[in-house]
Amino acid sequence: MSTRDSILARIRQNRPQATALPDIHAVPFIRYDNPFEAFATLIRNLGGDAVQLAAGQSVADIVASRWPDAGRTVDLTLPEHEEVSDPHAWHDVDVAIVPGQLAVAENATVWVSHPDNHFRSIYFLTQKLVLVVPRDAMVDTMRDAYARIDMAEHGFGAFISGSSRTADIEQSLVMGAHGAMAALVIFV
Amino acid sequence: MKDDSVKHPQAAAEFLKDRAQAKWHDSAIWWVRQKRDAQAKQLPEWEELRRLAREIKAHTLSQLDDYLAQFEANAQKNGVTVHWAADADEHNRIVHGILAARQVKKLVKSKSMLTEECGLNPYLEQRGIEVVDTDLGERIVQLRHEAPSHIVMPAIHLKKEQISELFHKELGTEAGNNDPTYLTHAARANLREHFLTADAGLTGVNFAIAETGGVVVCTNEGNADLGTSLPPIHIASMGLEKIIPKLEHLGVFTRLLARSAIGSPVTTYTSHFHQARPGGEMHIVIVDNGRSDILGNEDFYQSLRCIRCGACMNTCPVYRRSSGFSYSYIIPGPIGSTLGPSRDMKKHGSMAFACSTCGSCSNVCPVKINLHEQLVLHRKKAFDQNLLPTGKKMGLLAMRFLTQHPALFDLGGKVMRKVVPIIPESLTRHSAWSRAGRDLPPMPAQSFKEQYQQRSQNKKDKQDKKDKEEQQ
Ligand code: SF4
Repeated sequence: MSTRDSILARIRQNRPQATALPDIHAVPFIRYDNPFEAFATLIRNLGGDAVQLAAGQSVADIVASRWPDAGRTVDLTLPEHEEVSDPHAWHDVDVAIVPGQLAVAENATVWVSHPDNHFRSIYFLTQKLVLVVPRDAMVDTMRDAYARIDMAEHGFGAFISGSSRTADIEQSLVMGAHGAMAALVIFV
Repeated sequence: MKDDSVKHPQAAAEFLKDRAQAKWHDSAIWWVRQKRDAQAKQLPEWEELRRLAREIKAHTLSQLDDYLAQFEANAQKNGVTVHWAADADEHNRIVHGILAARQVKKLVKSKSMLTEECGLNPYLEQRGIEVVDTDLGERIVQLRHEAPSHIVMPAIHLKKEQISELFHKELGTEAGNNDPTYLTHAARANLREHFLTADAGLTGVNFAIAETGGVVVCTNEGNADLGTSLPPIHIASMGLEKIIPKLEHLGVFTRLLARSAIGSPVTTYTSHFHQARPGGEMHIVIVDNGRSDILGNEDFYQSLRCIRCGACMNTCPVYRRSSGFSYSYIIPGPIGSTLGPSRDMKKHGSMAFACSTCGSCSNVCPVKINLHEQLVLHRKKAFDQNLLPTGKKMGLLAMRFLTQHPALFDLGGKVMRKVVPIIPESLTRHSAWSRAGRDLPPMPAQSFKEQYQQRSQNKKDKQDKKDKEEQQ
């Protein structure tokens, strides 16, 4: 018998008594009166920031005023944007502006998933990550978020919240472990 | 790799010799427990979430073979290669096979307790492959040639001075610069080089979704993501209990994991891997290594619900005061103390006694495992199998005799309360109580039973008096 079949056979023989799968939608989860405020307050504690685009303002304006001396900037929200053939080629990106599909109020995460999965490395290689999210794409909790995302679509997707961080040295929180050192969410 | 000849009481005594560090260890970990409580309080549905998580996992375990088969089929549809490993050795052989076939020279690893359990690093290194652990805490213990002392905070046993010294030697950082930000950023620069030059990346798995055939990995550092989006090969090693039925169930577990683990609403990155990066390949290795046997054990199979958050360690008064290295099994603390003896009672039996049965672990566990009850059952097993040191065994037998003869028990207490206060200190200094550097507590005038009876009597008297007054 193959390893696979012998493992499955042993599980079949040993499996505990059947129990039912609970209905996770039968329970009320938290709701926010002002989801944007909840999101913005939280993300500041997580090494990020969130702003709403004002009338007449552009994403590029906000980014330029925040980081006037930025190095290589790549904006994947533009219809015409830079392409690379090797994921390593993003290694010196300073600011990456990427589309976010969905924001979650309870934990200040943004869902990123791009049809062309080869942008994957830029989310994590860039020094500063800017996530551009439509204003109405905000849900309260992770349960609502999973109801809206389609995993079959892109092969990769991530919830990203704030900047990369660690507390592995004496429990001191340090921003900028391996991924982006700063994160900015712009609601448009 | 962990030394499985460790006996908890001796190793804990060793750890407690450095009183200052032991005290710091206790308070640093307790702080994480408090952050967990603060997060739990912010969600009115917290207890409901725990119930849902428990029930989802219980259901999944009751049909685990079906869900694993479904997971495999869906992963294959996504173009992922699925492998099965009966034990640690088969896991290591499979991983090495994948790497050797593509002449991989360097592997970047993100955190995985499973590969620690399997001893993967030394296995690959002996075969000429450079293995770089990339989680900062894991990297620190790797450079020190140690195993992690905690499943979520691998280097929690170290002070920043020790890490500074290590980095000075290994990474050329400034001598005596103990600033955590400086040290973290030095490690960042060094590890980035490794990410950019690695030929393959390996991750653990937090959750595997049967419905979609993909795996989820949660990190704060982003190391799993860099390690899988740059190199062309991604290998994910998962214990077979990591399965959940559907994508929607992640909405329960991703809400519990980071809050329970580190007292944060979420990890920075919660990444869902269903395919390799373009031009790459993805492999998933499903590992049994004793899990299917535990599944068949009525008393202990609940431990397979564990999502490895570490909350039980953070709350455990024994773990906090003895450190992860005092436990022989690769996973320390309450959950390790039930998994270890389930695997091998002879090697890990002493772990089940590293418990005060306070029940705090069971109270914080996000999937409601009856940890402290399992530990008591393991103790009974260790006793029945005659695995206890003679002293401990005699003590337990004497205790059993006493509790079965209440009159004798009462008398013993009475004598103790009279005699202990007049024993000279030079004789008590070496008792189990005083050895740890404590004074004997003052003896109470009455036994607990007497105090309890008196209190009940007082209460009754009061009530009688009140009743009488009301009648008048
Ligand atoms: S037993 Fe429970 S508390 Fe402990 S690590 Fe596992 S899930 Fe967390």
